[in-house]
Amino acid sequence: MKRSTLYLMLVALVLCAAPPLISAAKVGAAAPDFRGTASNGKTFRLSDYRGKYVVLEWHNNGCPFVRKQYNSGNMQRLQKQWTSQGVVWFTILSSAPGKQGYATASEENDYMAKMQAVPTAALLDPTGEIGHLYDAKTSPQMVVINPQGVVIYDGAIDDKPTTDLNDVPGATNYVSLALQQAMAGKQVETSATRPYGCSVKYADAKH
Amino acid sequence: MTLRSRRKPMAGARHQIRKNLLDSLGIETKMRRCNPSSGFYRALTCGATLLLCAASAQAEGIPIPHGTLELIARNQWIVAGHTLDLGLRFQLEKGWHIYWVNPGDSGEPPRVEWQLPTGLTIGAMEWPTPRRLETSSIVDYGYEDAVLLIVPLHAAASLAVQPPVQLGAEVRLLVCSHEMCIPGKAELSLTLPIKSQPPAPDAQTLDADLFTATRKSLPRPAPGNWKFSVADANDSFVLTANLGHQITQAIFFPLAESQIENAAPQKLLPVAAGFRLTLRKSDRLLKPIARLKGVLVLSADRSYLIDVPLSKPGAARSSSGIGIHPVQSLKEGRQI
Repeated sequence: MKRSTLYLMLVALVLCAAPPLISAAKVGAAAPDFRGTASNGKTFRLSDYRGKYVVLEWHNNGCPFVRKQYNSGNMQRLQKQWTSQGVVWFTILSSAPGKQGYATASEENDYMAKMQAVPTAALLDPTGEIGHLYDAKTSPQMVVINPQGVVIYDGAIDDKPTTDLNDVPGATNYVSLALQQAMAGKQVETSATRPYGCSVKYADAKH
Repeated sequence: MTLRSRRKPMAGARHQIRKNLLDSLGIETKMRRCNPSSGFYRALTCGATLLLCAASAQAEGIPIPHGTLELIARNQWIVAGHTLDLGLRFQLEKGWHIYWVNPGDSGEPPRVEWQLPTGLTIGAMEWPTPRRLETSSIVDYGYEDAVLLIVPLHAAASLAVQPPVQLGAEVRLLVCSHEMCIPGKAELSLTLPIKSQPPAPDAQTLDADLFTATRKSLPRPAPGNWKFSVADANDSFVLTANLGHQITQAIFFPLAESQIENAAPQKLLPVAAGFRLTLRKSDRLLKPIARLKGVLVLSADRSYLIDVPLSKPGAARSSSGIGIHPVQSLKEGRQI
């Protein structure tokens, strides 16, 4: 009697608590699949890129930590360097309408042209669905997914959590390091860091 | 207007600023007020005072995004062989905040570069107890309204008596609201003479009681007879405290980044001799940690620095005893 009650409680707990645990992205676990509409109007699905490395970049063009990367040209350099080696790079905008970093498709296209940004695509995520799926906390939070669809890096872009442009040249870039090590068949040494930056400007109170 | 008559309102403004800070520490102060006596004169002086108040409040602190910042000292001079408290006094507009040494999920703490004459060195910054700054998805640790960050200045015993020397501080900081962040930079300076005699009480500056109140409110070492232990319980750390009396309120602020999930609720279980606090591990914590170090807040005026080694895995299992919590049983359930 007691044992069966306990068992029922356990089942209830598993049922209640399991979905968020299964869906949240974690280093070493499968990257949750998503479908996103890009600023160029095309639809992209993560699982279509099995077999390739994929980088996810959380973006907010008003955030000083993001501006540090774009105004120094560093983010564009990384996009160019890695996409030219076959890496798929998704810039993701999870700001809700009316909040900092929100952009319409044409606004984002203008921004990318002006900044000479060259990701594979900029995915518009105003509902925050993709952001929440990956528990993205900040911009510029970065995620690296390997060709088997496993998250191999999640965290900060580099080891200098500041807004100072002068800190870009001397920084250790964790995204490049993860890609280099994984492509060389090595274990990614630093696979999770605190994703410094500005909070992602999600829509208020989801539930 | 003579110089003397101009001084009073400025002192008044200083008191107002001090009062704001002391209020934020929950301390009451007596304040000098503009208390004029007659009709037209009253209107005139009060107006002038208000203008001067506004002007001097501006002049007292360097503007930073949505606030001001000022370098202040407890005493009017430096004494060779002694330590003097300096302070960075932040005043912020409503809705804006700066960050604690561990900023939590986003942001960055203020960083200071000092320019000091030979013989003067700076000690470690004293961080007052922060607040949890919560948004829908993240939790940061920082300060709103007003805060004084105290920095001890050590003067070498060999330091010669000198006319005033200049102390410089270049502060880089990030000021944020829930909606946006603005980086700022401020060049601060303070000029103080170096004397041989220790300062008498009348050598204190107008800010001395702010330093006293701030120091009093700083997290202090936990009493020696309090016993803490931390058990590693799969997805969580369980902090058990034995203080000799029941505790019904406790919040933990971790000093290290990425040890606990900042936004997860901290589950408190009051027990007869203290409490048990369940802190969810950060998803980014991939290696075991040796110690849990941080600030434990029991009430508005009682916060303590704790540094607790993790119990051995075997001990952790037995000490978590009957207090099986959902996350732990869930994980065990899924593994079977």
